[in-house]
Amino acid sequence: MATQKAFYFDASACNGCKACMIACKSKNALPVGVNFRRVLQYGGGAWVPDPEYPDFLQPSGLFAYSLSVACMHCQNAPCVNICPAKAIEKRDDGIVLVDEDKCIGCHYCEWACPYGAPQFDADKGTMIKCDFCVDLIDQGEAPYCVASCPMRALDFGELDELRAKYGTVSAVAPLPPADLTDPAFVMTPHRDAQPVGQGTGRIYDDEV
Amino acid sequence: MNTREWALVAFTILAQMSVGSFLVLGAVHFLAKRKAGEAEADRLSDRALLAIGPVLILGMIASLFHLENPANAYRAVMNIGSSWLSREIFFGVLFAAVGFLFAIMQWRKLASPTVRIAVAGVAALIGVALVYSMARVYMLPNQPSWNSAATPLSFFATTLLLGALAMGAAFSVNYTYLKARRQPALQTQSDLLRDALRWIALASIVLLGFQMVIISADLVNQSAGDAAATVAKIGEEYGAIFVLRVALVFLGAGVFAFFLYKNAASAAKEQVLANLVYGAFALVLVAEVLGRFLFYATHTRIGI
Repeated sequence: MATQKAFYFDASACNGCKACMIACKSKNALPVGVNFRRVLQYGGGAWVPDPEYPDFLQPSGLFAYSLSVACMHCQNAPCVNICPAKAIEKRDDGIVLVDEDKCIGCHYCEWACPYGAPQFDADKGTMIKCDFCVDLIDQGEAPYCVASCPMRALDFGELDELRAKYGTVSAVAPLPPADLTDPAFVMTPHRDAQPVGQGTGRIYDDEV
Repeated sequence: MNTREWALVAFTILAQMSVGSFLVLGAVHFLAKRKAGEAEADRLSDRALLAIGPVLILGMIASLFHLENPANAYRAVMNIGSSWLSREIFFGVLFAAVGFLFAIMQWRKLASPTVRIAVAGVAALIGVALVYSMARVYMLPNQPSWNSAATPLSFFATTLLLGALAMGAAFSVNYTYLKARRQPALQTQSDLLRDALRWIALASIVLLGFQMVIISADLVNQSAGDAAATVAKIGEEYGAIFVLRVALVFLGAGVFAFFLYKNAASAAKEQVLANLVYGAFALVLVAEVLGRFLFYATHTRIGI
């Protein structure tokens, strides 16, 4: 049976420090504007007038949480299916890789991916994306993002084992619904996690 | 919108126009032949046929501008088993090849008319497959504003509308040319031209109505679903362009086409007809370019 490598993310532990993002950026020497792993700050709610003292404002339904997101190495990966050049392939262990020598740079995968995983490298003229640190995985080591997290909010492993250990939640706002692509992803939601697609909050950090 | 997306506007519009032109030309030639015989029908349509190839080639050159790594462009057909983008390129190249073969055969009168009709029929089917593939490229599950029946329906409406008016304009250019060359016995050509323009005008008016139904149904459908952001974007940022797009297609395929239909009834008005069909074609072309611009500029993507 084919195996499937997957990421785990604990939103209840993440403090939004972005160490994972920087570790990834550093390891892959990513150009400005390209981030394989991104930490999204999602928040919402409002300050409303106090009923008794309308000059004073009080918080109403305020929430904020961080999500660390990379390529989901989806089980039903649209990028693999739609790439016209067959430049994106899924390995036997489920890891989705871009072959930069085959890429024609049409950006079609960028349209098809709901996670913004394939991104454009202007120097190479091709799309590039998270490769799950295959070089390290093949040596039995952990991906940089997982190893770098000071809160131990990231983990990786076989999807089945991660599900057995952490449950089956794979989407909260602002992630897309999981049935779109069947992502190889498991997460523990933050206590204020919002449901997918309701638009109760917004992404606050415009840099990612 | 960036250069790459403008390249797609140019490619999709030009490729659809060439497919539509080919289909309309086939229908007109068929009807003209029944009415006035092979020679007169060829005289009406052969020069128009030669205009289609360059339009398609221009579109395919434009499509290369949307690749960041055109050196690998040949790889675009590698995933024909599962990618509609590969199928689009495949049918595009095939349509160009079979269409070119037919143009050579028709121009040099190679093989029998029956064989030529068969080749043209194959090219037409490939053209339809090309437009269908073009639409399917955009029907991605995380692109709700594209992922509906409105995409293929509006692509085919554009195909036929631009094809009909482009060929109407080409027939008028051809007639003006024949007249300038003082070719004898133009009466039959005049009759065929006026007949063709009358049908083209009628077809344009019907297609205009069809297009208005699709546009309004699409807006209603989007505003209630995942693509609501597209409708909001049209209202907030692109309202003027949207209204202009509808107004121009109404003016071209409605008002101009109406007068084209009226004037096509009486002889000796070929110059008026020519001006009307040129105007209608130009207006609809601008309207369709604006429509396609909006298609790319206002799309909604599910996800992050």
